Amino acid sequence: MKAVILAAGEGRRLRPLTETMPKVMLPVANKPVLEYVFDAVKNSGIDEIVVVVGYKKEVIMEYFKEYEGVDVIYVVQDKQLGTAHALLQAKKHINEPFIVLSGDNIIDQKSISKLIHNESEYSMLVKETPYPSKYGVVTAEKNILKELVEKPPNENLKRFVSTGIYKFSPSIFNTIENVISLGDYSLSSVIQSAIEQGKKISTILADLWMDIAYPWDFLSINETMAHSVPSSLGGSIEKGVTLKGRVSIGNNTTIYSGCYIVGPVIIGDGCEIGPNACIFPSTAIGDNSVIHPFSEIRNSIIMSDVHIGSNSFISHCIIGRGSTMKHNFSSTAGKSTMEVEGEFKKLEDIGAIVGADCSIGSHVVIDPGKIIGTRCTLGSMNRIIKNVSSNSKVM
Amino acid sequence: MCGIIGYTGHRAANDVLIESLKRLEYRGYDSAGIGIIDEKLQTFKDVGEIEALQYTIPKIKGNIGIGHTRWATHGKVSKENAHPHLSCDKKIAIVHNGIIENFRVLREELEAKGHTFTSQTDSEIIAHLIEDEYKGNLEKAVFSSIKKIKGSFAFVAICEDEPEKLVGARNESPLIIGVGDNENFLASDVTALLKFTNRVLYLDDGEFCIVTKDSIHIFDKSDAEIQKEENIIEWDFNDAKKSGFPHFMLKEIYEQSDSVQRVLRGRVSEIDRSIELPDKVESLLNDTIDSIHIVACGTSLYSGMVGKYLIEKITNIPVFVEISSEYRYFGTKDRSSLVVFITQSGETADTLGALKKAKNAGSRTIVVTNVIGSTATRIADGFVLTQCGPEIGVAATKTFTSQMLSLLLIALKIATIRKELGSDEIYSYIRNLKDIPRQIRQVLAQSDKIADMAKHLKDATSVFFIGRGVNYPLSLEGALKLKEISYIHAEGFAAGEIKHGPFALLTKDTPVVAIVTRDATYDKIISNIGEIKARGPQVIAIADEKDTEIEKHADFVLRFPTNTGLLSCVSITVILQLLAYHVAKLRGCSIDKPRNLAKSVTVE
Repeated sequence: MKAVILAAGEGRRLRPLTETMPKVMLPVANKPVLEYVFDAVKNSGIDEIVVVVGYKKEVIMEYFKEYEGVDVIYVVQDKQLGTAHALLQAKKHINEPFIVLSGDNIIDQKSISKLIHNESEYSMLVKETPYPSKYGVVTAEKNILKELVEKPPNENLKRFVSTGIYKFSPSIFNTIENVISLGDYSLSSVIQSAIEQGKKISTILADLWMDIAYPWDFLSINETMAHSVPSSLGGSIEKGVTLKGRVSIGNNTTIYSGCYIVGPVIIGDGCEIGPNACIFPSTAIGDNSVIHPFSEIRNSIIMSDVHIGSNSFISHCIIGRGSTMKHNFSSTAGKSTMEVEGEFKKLEDIGAIVGADCSIGSHVVIDPGKIIGTRCTLGSMNRIIKNVSSNSKVM
Repeated sequence: MCGIIGYTGHRAANDVLIESLKRLEYRGYDSAGIGIIDEKLQTFKDVGEIEALQYTIPKIKGNIGIGHTRWATHGKVSKENAHPHLSCDKKIAIVHNGIIENFRVLREELEAKGHTFTSQTDSEIIAHLIEDEYKGNLEKAVFSSIKKIKGSFAFVAICEDEPEKLVGARNESPLIIGVGDNENFLASDVTALLKFTNRVLYLDDGEFCIVTKDSIHIFDKSDAEIQKEENIIEWDFNDAKKSGFPHFMLKEIYEQSDSVQRVLRGRVSEIDRSIELPDKVESLLNDTIDSIHIVACGTSLYSGMVGKYLIEKITNIPVFVEISSEYRYFGTKDRSSLVVFITQSGETADTLGALKKAKNAGSRTIVVTNVIGSTATRIADGFVLTQCGPEIGVAATKTFTSQMLSLLLIALKIATIRKELGSDEIYSYIRNLKDIPRQIRQVLAQSDKIADMAKHLKDATSVFFIGRGVNYPLSLEGALKLKEISYIHAEGFAAGEIKHGPFALLTKDTPVVAIVTRDATYDKIISNIGEIKARGPQVIAIADEKDTEIEKHADFVLRFPTNTGLLSCVSITVILQLLAYHVAKLRGCSIDKPRNLAKSVTVE
């Protein structure tokens, strides 16, 4: 069986993190979200993946060039009109029943196997969530879908929602073409139209399914996934380093003397950490990053090629790829209300979110929950109390 | 320059040969052919790319065979000249890569003995020579034949009367043995075999081998059997796939933020402020060095010229850059000089010849190459690997940037040994080096803008590239990239030289690409641009993102991220590569397989 993975979107709500890479490439426990989807699909016995790409497609193609065990084909969606339109791009590669998944949701292999082995022509994975208003809410009778309502007005009730993961036969493409000809590009409209045509769509409960919509989702999902990464010690670890819990260290990484690391912590390839740096749960540090002496990092995502100066304190932060901060950088976590695309979220513990390629001077302090855009320059001795938009300079 | 393959084992030889030939196409693609034994020896050959031929090749049964993809050196591109070549009785077939220097003499001798030749190639004599020596044992016939042949060769022979064995021989052209389970391979290089095995044995010059599906025997010049160590290749089969990119070249351009990282990884330590190279290389650099010669050809030569500027600036040691084919015959081999050879494949015939000469003259030799286990790594005293994985696009991209950085690491190592640089200066170099992958990503993000700029060049009949200092070899490289894949005539010049002649060629229809860095010669190149503009051509400047003046002088500007002096060479290169790529794409050229060119040139 083949799988179609939709990975063309930008992920506007995750800006500035998605300004340099598509949403599906953002790392969770040092692996792009899309790689979790690839792995789950591959392990459930799928032999060919058709990936629909669009926004910053080269980043995806370059990363997965070495992906093994399954054939990967790319199709391009030039304009991101909607999920149904995205799926339609894969039509020419499909001539048998197939599954479709979105590249930005983490899903387990067991749920996919259940979906593949379900006997009905169309079926879908659903999941219970306390926040149904972001999703398509599902009404079903005896595991047959009756209705799919996209983003119903605020109801804070636990409801079953569509995970966006379906099994179809190629006949779905006719329905898609019909719906698109009416000017609607979303997959939920296609499903609704299929129900109206009398198609029976089985609903199957997914085990693990995580959607990443907002920056704060990343930290909690990172924490969940970090627990599943086994310990492994690559590179060189100097005398006098303390490692507790599950710690994974990549090749060519050096952990200098006096470091204290409490897992779950995942450190990529080619990093240099310490001497005397402390890293606490649940932290992921990407490839080629350098953490200078006497710095403390807790519950954060530090992406690749990041440079953190000595005596820095980083808690509940996301630091984008290629950003550098000189010594005594501080991002205290605390209570904050964050605003993303008109939505407000009260958070108990949140640090800074720093976009890619920023250059931050020494002794900079960022207040809880503040977002720094891509390629910003923050001069030394600044305290940042407001969000900073991309390409800005704070003197 | 050709690609050869031999197979014996449990699979259908036809499928294995075609699959492997596709991987070898970068070595030549003007014609191809296969020969398979299934009781009788059957062959098929034709003119064209394997991609097209795979559909016309008849399904020949059998589990042992040989294949060839050709890049013509002797004799024109024709069906007759394609390999395999057969003996008169059509029982012996051979595929050959290399040049037989004494083929005319041998051909006359064989013709006198009654052999009839059907092609104009030098290769065909091998089949007839073996037939002449054949007394019921193929390897004995091969052994006595190779004693008579002068020149470079790697060939594989099969014989209908001994349908279980392949016999391979090598001298100055690459040949490897791929080891499988109940099957074995012979091939020009590893990429051909990655789909089937990653276990490899390397043959050395003068050696030959007998390969059956379950045994391998290797013999040296004196016919004595020898043992070889098995090498495990870490490259991934997928490295040789396009992974969604329309061309290998574009894929390889995009890979550079990663491949550059691989040059630095494990060699550069920011906390320790140190550069680490292989022990053998470090001990060579530890000696007194009065001067350095860099010897290479093609794109590697240009990376060597960049290396000259880097090494001289950092170490104050004089550097001489020489063309392999010239150095080999005319270069002064100075014992007190360190000689650095650059070859992507480690098999470039001209560079290998030069390397052997330097070694015989007693010079210390280091090779910068991409292929571990290649001939060059086995001859040189020490080697630095560029570690960037297989490069398939004929136009070198990622290997060029990795070669420049490898030379920079050598320079920094010498400087630390000789204490030419202080700890702070080393630290600053290391920080800036680590910034390069980010800068490459920044340039790649401008790909659309560069594609736009390509429109200004696509209809030009001639394009000039100019620069000063390290930007001079970059101009040469930019021009080379453009001419080799887009077929537009392009020349690179040192900006100061343009008024000493090339000016005569400038018209308003000759766009000029000027590389401008904010160094001591900034004002000079600005005035060069002025001189050019006065003759009417459009000028595209490649300039530092912080350069606010340049717009006043150039018609168009492409920006690279600011980095200390010499280190911007990497991001500038990526801009030049993308520019050439987009021009070629607009012109509809065959980007991965430019006409008349092949990837690694293993003939002189």
